[in-house]
Amino acid sequence: MSSQLADMPSKIVNPPSIQPAADALPTPTPMIVVDHLDFYYGKSKALHAVNMNIAAKHVTAFIGPSGCGKSTLLRCFNRMNDLIEGTRIGAGEVRIQGVNIYDPTVDVISLRRQVGMVFQKSNPFPKSIYQNISYGLELQGVKDKKRLDEVVEKSLRGAALWDEVKDRLHSSALGLSGGQQQRLCIARAIAVEPAVILMDEPCSALDPIATSKVEELIQELKKKFTIVIVTHSMQQAGRCSDMTAFFYLGKLIEMDATQKIFTKPSQQQTEDYITGRFG
Amino acid sequence: MSINEQNAALSAALKGRARAKVLGLTFDDVMRYFFGGNATVAVIVLVLILVFLGKEGAGFFGQNQVNLSVYRKAGLEYVDLMRMPMEEFTGLTRGLNDVRLNRFKVLLASGKDAEQANAALEEFDAFADQLGAVAGDARGLMSDLTEVVSAVKTRVQIAADKDLERDMLRHAGREAEAKALKSEEVDFQKEIAAIKSAAGAWKPASEAMGAGLRAATAAARSAAWAKGDKLLEKLLLKAEKFAVDLPEVEVRMAAWRWDEPVPYSRSVAAFLYGREWITASFWQDWYGMLPLLSGSLLVAIIAMVVAVPLAISCAIYVSEIATPGEKAVIKPYIEFVSAIPSVVLGFFGIAVLGTVIRSLSQVEFLHWIPGFPMSERLNALTAGLLLAVTSIPTIFSLAEDALANVPRHFKEASYALGATRFQTLVRVLIPASLSGIISAILLGFGRVIGETMVVLLCAGNRIAIPDFTQGVSAFFQPVHTMTGIIAQEMGEVAQGSIHYRALFMVGIILFFASLIINYIAQKVVRKYRISIG
Amino acid sequence: MATQDVSNMEVPPPHPFMRPATAAMRSERRAFNVFRMATYSVLLAATAIFGVIFVKGADTIFTREFPFVNIAFLIESPETLHVFDHEGQHHEIGDREFRKYMEAHANPTIAEETYVYSAGGIFPCIVGTFFLVVGSMAIALFVGISAAVFLNEYSRGGRMVELLQLAILNLAGVPSIVFGLFGFGLFVLFAPIFASAPDPSHLYIPLGFGYLNFTGWGVSLISGWFTLAFMVLPVVITASEESLKAVPKGFREGSLALGATQWEAIRTNVLPYALPGILTSSILGIARVAGETAPIMFTAAYVVRDRLPWQVDHVLDVLFQGVMALPYHIYVVSSKIPQNAYTERVQFGTAFVFLGLVLGIALSSVILRNRLRARYRW
Repeated sequence: MSSQLADMPSKIVNPPSIQPAADALPTPTPMIVVDHLDFYYGKSKALHAVNMNIAAKHVTAFIGPSGCGKSTLLRCFNRMNDLIEGTRIGAGEVRIQGVNIYDPTVDVISLRRQVGMVFQKSNPFPKSIYQNISYGLELQGVKDKKRLDEVVEKSLRGAALWDEVKDRLHSSALGLSGGQQQRLCIARAIAVEPAVILMDEPCSALDPIATSKVEELIQELKKKFTIVIVTHSMQQAGRCSDMTAFFYLGKLIEMDATQKIFTKPSQQQTEDYITGRFG
Repeated sequence: MSINEQNAALSAALKGRARAKVLGLTFDDVMRYFFGGNATVAVIVLVLILVFLGKEGAGFFGQNQVNLSVYRKAGLEYVDLMRMPMEEFTGLTRGLNDVRLNRFKVLLASGKDAEQANAALEEFDAFADQLGAVAGDARGLMSDLTEVVSAVKTRVQIAADKDLERDMLRHAGREAEAKALKSEEVDFQKEIAAIKSAAGAWKPASEAMGAGLRAATAAARSAAWAKGDKLLEKLLLKAEKFAVDLPEVEVRMAAWRWDEPVPYSRSVAAFLYGREWITASFWQDWYGMLPLLSGSLLVAIIAMVVAVPLAISCAIYVSEIATPGEKAVIKPYIEFVSAIPSVVLGFFGIAVLGTVIRSLSQVEFLHWIPGFPMSERLNALTAGLLLAVTSIPTIFSLAEDALANVPRHFKEASYALGATRFQTLVRVLIPASLSGIISAILLGFGRVIGETMVVLLCAGNRIAIPDFTQGVSAFFQPVHTMTGIIAQEMGEVAQGSIHYRALFMVGIILFFASLIINYIAQKVVRKYRISIG
Repeated sequence: MATQDVSNMEVPPPHPFMRPATAAMRSERRAFNVFRMATYSVLLAATAIFGVIFVKGADTIFTREFPFVNIAFLIESPETLHVFDHEGQHHEIGDREFRKYMEAHANPTIAEETYVYSAGGIFPCIVGTFFLVVGSMAIALFVGISAAVFLNEYSRGGRMVELLQLAILNLAGVPSIVFGLFGFGLFVLFAPIFASAPDPSHLYIPLGFGYLNFTGWGVSLISGWFTLAFMVLPVVITASEESLKAVPKGFREGSLALGATQWEAIRTNVLPYALPGILTSSILGIARVAGETAPIMFTAAYVVRDRLPWQVDHVLDVLFQGVMALPYHIYVVSSKIPQNAYTERVQFGTAFVFLGLVLGIALSSVILRNRLRARYRW
């Protein structure tokens, strides 16, 4: 903890800590542990010594103004940042189930099968609805038609989409509405039964009704999956997350139980942001 | 499954690298290297072009050095020292013919018929005969020596051929036959001594020539018939100067040494700055770039003069002025023009355009244009016009891109200040896209220089530096080009011969020219990217 | 322009936004008219070229009677044209007919004029061009698409990629005749070839069952393929890169996030959507390959060849034979035989067929591209 203190701006009086979160909840198993993570885009440092624990089978929301590093951190969890030129981990680790995912022995492909992701802009493949869901399983070599049918139905039900699309499973996914497309992407992600689902502003392109459906779905999903969601909407974070982390300028300012963050945050910056004084 | 079991399974899954590996590479790595390998093909091809052009062209300068040194040792260079004044003298007599023709015309115009005119020119003809006769001895000597040195050179060549044959026999393991094959060792010193002694006759011959010339010109100057003819006056001045300079030839002949080695740099210079490209000649082959380079440049300049204004106007029209309907027609149409194969354009030039231009040049009221009427159907202008057709689409599409890439807010800001479309165009759009347009022009120029079939078919293929002393009519002369000469002569040369290597050297020059043009164009474009931020 | 030029106004404007007839406006109109004229004169010149070739060529290609197309011209080989008057009749016939005629008339002595290649048709040239295009495009597409996949999907910038891109740009500027020389030096003279005996004048490697010689492929289809393929490579790479860039990033991310390997993501979610675009843009490459003469002059083209490409003793010989090609044939008939009424037929006919072919290819590219744009919108 001491080295982390050194990195913090001096005006923060109470150093942010992950301990209160652990206290606030009944001993959740940490699924993801971020340990002192520095992250760079080329020469510019995007994350400064971030420390956090993400509890299993909870919903954790990342909030903060644009460019604060919340999406960057999210994409560290399944190493999607590897795809961007010039990115690198400066220091620290990300451990999922105790395994440092940046360890050279970790296979990034296996990692991504365990850590699913839903993107800001829904990105169904221009294939049929059925093929979209079965795609991940086919990658794993599943060919059994019956098994695929089962998984497709289960995933679509899981994503609360089954009733809407069951009659047109083999028509193009591009024909679905925006909200349906996003739920399809969620269904696609859960079809491979990952341990964690990362959601990068999943509702930013959706209308309020579609948003509320996705939010309900998130509440359902947390029974089975660990969910990390980046959101611009504080209401959304308040509605559907258990824990909330507030980021500012690449630093984790505060992380705590959502209720506590929104009622009595321990940091002035968090309060300013939540009450709308900046951001 | 308990939580712990689940966690253990997850940890295992994260660590698991179940995928098959060959030689430590996963399938994905293999694919990656496969694609990477294909991407390097472009680099490899560039290197191979350089290697193989270099490999075939490499021996050229060495061979040319030998070529030039035989030229010297066998005494051809020596005889050429005499040939130079003789050729100049031939030029004088040709000038005399022009003078006569001119006088003849004047006489006809003054109302005399041909017979009367000829009679009036009697004195002139006598002078011409007198002048023509003064070179007799010198010319005879020169042509005698020409035969002598040619024979020496032939012997050298036969010896070289035999050497080559012997090498091949040795290579094939037929040692006995190789030994039996004897090649003559030409004793240059002896040959040159003989030639030089024969050339002793040059001094009296040249002195007689000088004296005769002086006498003839002096007589003409004092004669009444020669008064007031400016052309003749010029010619006489030339003849007098020639007579004065004539003894210098002797000095040069005395200073000439057959055993002075020909340096390698001379061979390079003879290629790069050589004014003559003469091949398969009985006398001496010359491989000089200048006629080809100047031909290529002349044709390219004509093409650019025509193409640049048209293509840029087209680009401006299409991107800024045309209605959407016009745009939808013009752009694909010009794309079509770029698809016309160059050989078809060349054929069009031969079959249609050349004839059309020449008959146009024969129209009476166009005769004020210098160089009209044209003597040749296929000339630099024909080729240049067709090359303009090939380069217009290139320049057009790149320039149009450059204009279209100017950020919209530039234009909007200008309009918002109340500027007209033309003002916006001239003050905002063109400056902002200028470097793009310049690089478009450069790439068009590169395309024109590298174009083969049009110039091969339509440029007239006369290997000579265009005579720019004749002003504009230089543009109507037939020329030969770098690309054209390769296409024309490559099929007819023996592999490995000096001529073959010379053609590859021309190819190397073309290759580097294209690289340089490309490089400059890219530099310009890079600057442009920054300038619009 | 912001203020109105009042002095130029004769009638005061009824409202402040009326178009003022200022000098600026007039010069604008004049300038625009100049641009318009320049543009239309270019179009006119192009139309004149197309027009002359199509009108004159149509005489050869089309006939007044059924089937309205001169099929013989398209399916026969070139022959020498014999022109003569005999027994009060004027004859213009090809070689074979001429021999028959001479036999039938007991070999009379007649004053005849002959013109090579001016009778018969151009079938071998069409076939040869087809073979050249198919082979070279197959090579160019394979290498070009792979290169583009690397550049667009795998590479992460850096020195290497800059070098590659520079090489591609420069390769695009190399004159076609230089490609011809290069192909001649590398493929015709130096390429490795299996032989039963060593050739002492060249590098050779004993292989046990024979020798690997570097005596080159000779003037052959395969030499032409590679020469043309390398020439058109930059076109294919650029086209492929553009199409790959048009595939949304989400497709790649989506499939990678599901645990696809990079190749799986490319194979299932990038290439299928980029391929139609790649192929369409590459059609322009076909037009270029079909149209170039200089690169095949010394590598693949024969002035005349009696056998058709498939008339070979051994299957592999298909690769190692020269072919006749349309562009080279046009070069030959326009430069090696005189221009007159007798030779015009084959000259314009060949130009018509060739130009029609190339423009047809270009047209299909334009049409397909427009269709594709309408269909693929994500």
